Amino acid sequence: MTSIRRILRPEQIRELSLLLIIVGVVLFFGSQIDNYYTPRTFQRISSSVMIIMVVAVGETLVVLTRNIDLSVSSIVGLTAYVAGQQISQNNDMSPATLIALALGLGAALGLINGLLVAYGNIPAIVVTLGTLAIYRGVLVQYGGSKNILVRDLPDWLVDLPRVNLFTIGEFEIRLLFAVALAIVIVFQLVLVYLAYGRRLYAIGSNPDAAQMAGLPTRRTVLLAFVLCGALSGLGGFMYLARIGTISSNAAQGLHMQVIAAVVVGGVNIFGGSGTMIGMMLGAVLMGILEQSLIRMQINEFWKDAFFGLFILLAVATDALLMNRVRDLWARSAAQLHLARRTAPQKE
Amino acid sequence: MPRLRDWRELLRWETLLAVILLLVIAVNIQMSPHFLGTRNLVNLFQLSIEKIIVALIMTFIIINGEIDLSVASVMGLSACLFAWLYEQGTPAEVAILAALAAGMLCGAFMGFWIAYANLPSLAVTLAGLILYRGMARILLEDRSVGQFPHWFTRLGQTDQFGPLSFGIVLFVVLFVVALIALHFSAFGRHVYVIGNNRSAARYAGLKVRRTKMALFVLSGLIAGLCGLLLAARLGTVRANAAEEFELDIITMVLLGGVSIFGGTGTMIGVGLSILVVLNLRNGMSLAHYSGNIQTSVVGALLIASVLLPNLLRDARQMWLRRGARRRPRPVAGGQEEEESRQTVDPKPIARS
Amino acid sequence: MGTKKVLTSLVLIALLLAPALSVMAQDGPVEAEPGHELNMILLPKDPGNPVFVEAHEGAMEAHEELQNPGELIFTGPSPENAIPGQIEIITSGTTEGVDAIMISANAYEELVPATTAAREAGITIVTWDSPVLPEGEDLFIAQVDFSETGVVMADMALNLLGEEGGQFAILSATPDASNQNAWIEAMQEALASDEKYANLELVDIVYGNDVPEDSYNQALGLVDSHPDLRLIMAPTTVGIAAAAKALQDEGLCGEVLLSGLGLPSEMESFVEAGCAQEFALWSFHDLGYLTYYVSYLLASGQITGEVGESFVAGRMGEYTIEEDPNREGGKRVLMGPFSLYNADNFDEWAGGAEEEEAAEGEDEGVALDGDALINERCTVCHTRDRIDAQDKDEAGWTATVDMMISFGAQLNEEERAAVIQYLVETH
Repeated sequence: MTSIRRILRPEQIRELSLLLIIVGVVLFFGSQIDNYYTPRTFQRISSSVMIIMVVAVGETLVVLTRNIDLSVSSIVGLTAYVAGQQISQNNDMSPATLIALALGLGAALGLINGLLVAYGNIPAIVVTLGTLAIYRGVLVQYGGSKNILVRDLPDWLVDLPRVNLFTIGEFEIRLLFAVALAIVIVFQLVLVYLAYGRRLYAIGSNPDAAQMAGLPTRRTVLLAFVLCGALSGLGGFMYLARIGTISSNAAQGLHMQVIAAVVVGGVNIFGGSGTMIGMMLGAVLMGILEQSLIRMQINEFWKDAFFGLFILLAVATDALLMNRVRDLWARSAAQLHLARRTAPQKE
Repeated sequence: MPRLRDWRELLRWETLLAVILLLVIAVNIQMSPHFLGTRNLVNLFQLSIEKIIVALIMTFIIINGEIDLSVASVMGLSACLFAWLYEQGTPAEVAILAALAAGMLCGAFMGFWIAYANLPSLAVTLAGLILYRGMARILLEDRSVGQFPHWFTRLGQTDQFGPLSFGIVLFVVLFVVALIALHFSAFGRHVYVIGNNRSAARYAGLKVRRTKMALFVLSGLIAGLCGLLLAARLGTVRANAAEEFELDIITMVLLGGVSIFGGTGTMIGVGLSILVVLNLRNGMSLAHYSGNIQTSVVGALLIASVLLPNLLRDARQMWLRRGARRRPRPVAGGQEEEESRQTVDPKPIARS
Repeated sequence: MGTKKVLTSLVLIALLLAPALSVMAQDGPVEAEPGHELNMILLPKDPGNPVFVEAHEGAMEAHEELQNPGELIFTGPSPENAIPGQIEIITSGTTEGVDAIMISANAYEELVPATTAAREAGITIVTWDSPVLPEGEDLFIAQVDFSETGVVMADMALNLLGEEGGQFAILSATPDASNQNAWIEAMQEALASDEKYANLELVDIVYGNDVPEDSYNQALGLVDSHPDLRLIMAPTTVGIAAAAKALQDEGLCGEVLLSGLGLPSEMESFVEAGCAQEFALWSFHDLGYLTYYVSYLLASGQITGEVGESFVAGRMGEYTIEEDPNREGGKRVLMGPFSLYNADNFDEWAGGAEEEEAAEGEDEGVALDGDALINERCTVCHTRDRIDAQDKDEAGWTATVDMMISFGAQLNEEERAAVIQYLVETH
C-alpha cells in the first residue's frame, strides 16, 4: 500500500484531480449544450485562455516565492498600448522588434516591482496594489484620449490571431495558442531542471531559512518579478493582436483571472509548491467554465461568483488536504525506508 | 506594554503626518479660494465617507496581523441586496436589516476560514473579493436600481446636522469609539498582542480565534452599513458599487503608521492619514485631475507609506552602526549597549 | 423753459429706451457677441473615446472663434467610475464656480441632484449626445432626432438582411446610457410599427460597456449563444469596432453581418475586409462646436433657453430651440444630419492615410498650390465649405492653420506657408 502512495507525489495527485474535474465539467456541459464537442468550442476556449496562460506563467513564478503580483493587468494594458502606438507610427517595424519592445517594457515595469519588494522590503501585496494603480495611471496619462486603432496597425499584426500553426482535421491549432503552450512547457522545465527553479521553491517554503542558507534570495525574487513583467508584456502584445483597439482601460481586471488560474491550478498562495502544468489546468478549467456559461446563456454574472468560490475551494483544499497528503507522503517514505532496512532479502 | 513603546516611535511618524497634512492643506488653499468654504470641506468628507468609516475597522484587522481585501465587495453586495429587496417590494427597513445581516454573514464566512481553518487571510479575502462581487452582479446584473424612500436618501446627503451629514457624524462617533477600544481597552491590547505574535498570545491564554472572528464579523457589519450609506448618498445602486475602494482604505491605514505585519500602529495616526488622503484627493479634484491620476497618486502614497519607514529604519541602523564603530574601544558599559544593538536582522524579503 | 425741459427729457428717455426697443424689435436670430469671459467644462462620457476627442476639437474651434478669454476644461471620469466620476466633476465645478458645464451623461437620473445643485448656484447646464432628466438641465443638444435614429437602425438592418429577414442582436454600450437606450427603444418601436420589418427578429440585447475587450467578448458570446444569428447591430462606436475585430479574428466576416453607429476612421479597415457592411454617424466635431456656442450664449445671457428662441451658431448657421418630442418637458436643439457609410461610398469617406502618402509623393518638384493642398490635406477631416465660409486676416488664418496642424493635419513648413498665403489672399 505504501508503495502505491509513493508513485504519485502530492502535487501530481492535485494535478490529476484537477484533470478529472475538467473531464467531468466538459462531460457535464456537453450534455447540456448542443454542438459542444466542436472545433469552434475548442477555438473559443483556446483563444480566450492563451493570454491568461502566458501572464499566469509569470505570476506563478512570483507566487512560488511567497509573493504576489497584482499589477499584471496594468502591465498588459500599458505594453499593449505602447506597442500599438509604436507600430502605428512606423508600420515597417519588424515583428521581432515589436515583441522585443513589449518584452522590454514589461520587464522594466516588473523590475520596479521587484526592486521595491526584494530590496525595499515592502510586502508584495502593498507594492503591486500600488503599482496596479500607478501603471494604469501612466497608461491613461500617456495615452491621453487617443485609442490605438485597428486601421493603423499592419496587416500581419491584425491577422495574427487567425494564423494557424497546423490543422488536425477540423481542429485548427492557432499559432498564438501554440506559443502560449510552449511557454508553459519551457517554464515547467525551468522549474524542474534548473537551479533557479529550485531556488524559487526554497524561498517560498521558508524565506528566512533560504536566506540563511546563503541563497541569493533577493536576486532570485527580483528576477521572478522581472520575468513576470516580461511575460505580461508578451501578453500585452498578444492582447494587441487580438483586440486591436486599445483604450486606456485595456486588460482591466485581468489580474483577478490570472490569480484565479494560478490558485485553482494548485500553486499555493503561501509559496513553496505548485507547477506550471497545474496552473495551465487551472486556466483551462476557468476558461471552460466561462465559455460554457455563455453558451448555456446562463446569466454571465454567475461567472465571478463561481471564480471566487473556486478560488476559495482551491485555497481551502490546498491548506487542509494537501498538508495531510504530504504527511502521508512523508510517513510512507519513512515506512518504506524502515521496510528496506529490516528485510533486505525480500527484494 | 506595547503602547508605551509604540508612542515614542510613532510620535515621530505622526508628527511627519501632521506636517504633511499642513503642507497639503496649504497647497490646497493656495490653489483654490473655494477650498476653505464649508461646502467644499463637507464635500471633502462626503465623497469618501464610506471609505473612511471602513478604514477604522481595517485598522484593527491589520494591527491584528491580518488583512481584509473583501470589504469593498461586501459594501457592494450589501448595497445591491438592499436595492434588490426594495425593488421586489420589501419594506425599506427590512431590506436594511437584511443588508446588515448579509454583511455580517460575509464577514463571518471569511472569519471562519481565517480564524478556525487557519487559512491565510490574503488568499481568503481575495477569494471573497471576487465571490461577493460576483454575488452582487447576480443580483443586479446590468441594471441600476434607485427611487429609494426619501428618508433614506436624505441620510446620505449633507445638511442634516447643520452643514454636516449623517455619515460625518457617524464617522466622528465611531472614530472616538475606535480610539477608546484600541488604546484604552483590554480588547485593544489583545488585538496588538495577537498581531505581534500569534502563538505567544495563544500560549498566554488569549482567545485568538474568537478575537479574529469577532474582528471579521465586525468588518462585515461595518462594510454592510457603509454599503447602505453609499446607496443613500448616490441614490442609485449598480453592481459595481464601491469597486476598488480597498486601495484607498488600505492606504489610509498603512499611511497612518500601521505596520502591514501587525502589532504596531495608532488610531491617531490613521486619523491623520485619513485627513491627508482626503485633502489630497480634494485638492486634485479642484485642480481637475482625472480620477485615474488621483488613484495613481494614492497608489504611490501606499508604496511610500511602507518604503519610507523602511528607509528611515535602514538609515538609522546604518547611522548607529557607524556611530558605534567610530567610538574608542576601551570604554565599557555604554559601548556594549551600542554594539549589542547590532543584531542580525534577517529582512523579510518575501513575506506577503 | 418748461417745454425745453420736457423736450430734453423726452429725448433722453427716447435715447435710453432706444437700445431696449431695438432689442425688442429685433426678431431675427441672436448673433453671438464674442469676447465674454466664461469658464466652461466639457464633460464627456469617457475622455478616452475618440468621438469625444473630436467633440473637444469642435468645442475648441468655437472657443477660439468666440475669443473667450476664459478656460475650456476637458475632463471626464475613468470608465469603471463612470457615474460617480461625473458627479464628482460636476460637484467640484460647482464649488469652483464655473460658468457652464457641458455634459454627455453616463446616466439619465443619477446626475440630476448634482446638476440641480449646480443650476441653483447659477451655472448653465447643457447636455449633448446623451441627456439627463429634463428638470436637471437647461437644454439638450441632440445630434440627431432619437426616434429617427431608431428608424435609421431598423432600415440598415432591413437593408442588410433583405426580405427573408432573420435573427439579429443588439450590442449596446453601458446599460444606463440614455442615448443608446432611447435609440434601442425607438428601433423596437419602428420594428413593431411597420409590416416591412416583420421578418426581422431581435433575439438579444447585450452590453459591452463601451470597453473594447468586453464588447469583443460580448460579440463572440452573441454568436455562440445564437447559432442562427445573422446580424449584429451596435449603436456605439466602441462596440461596432470591437465586434468587427472579433468577427475578423474568428473568420466570421460575411457570415455574421455587422452594422450600427461607427466612426469612419476606426471602421475603414473592417469595411475593406468585409467585416462591417454599413454604419452611420454624425459629426462629433460639429456637435462639440454647436454645444459650445449654445452654452456660451446661455451663460452670457444672450439667450434665455426658451422654446422658440433662435440664434446663429457661427459657421453652422441658424438654429432654433424647440420642444423635445421624445422627452416630456425637455427642450432641445437639433443638429442633424446622419451620414451613412458603406462599401459603395467607401472612396468618399475612407483613405485618410493613403491620401497623405500620395500627396507627399507628389510634393517633389511640384509648385506648392495652396488650393490643391487644402483640397487634399484639409478635407480629410471636414468638408471644404467650412473653410470657404470664413473670412479672416493673416493672424487669424495662421492661428487656425496651426491649430489644424496640432489636430493632425499633415503640412510641412513650406506647405503651411503656401496654404496660409492662399487663404489670406482668397478668404
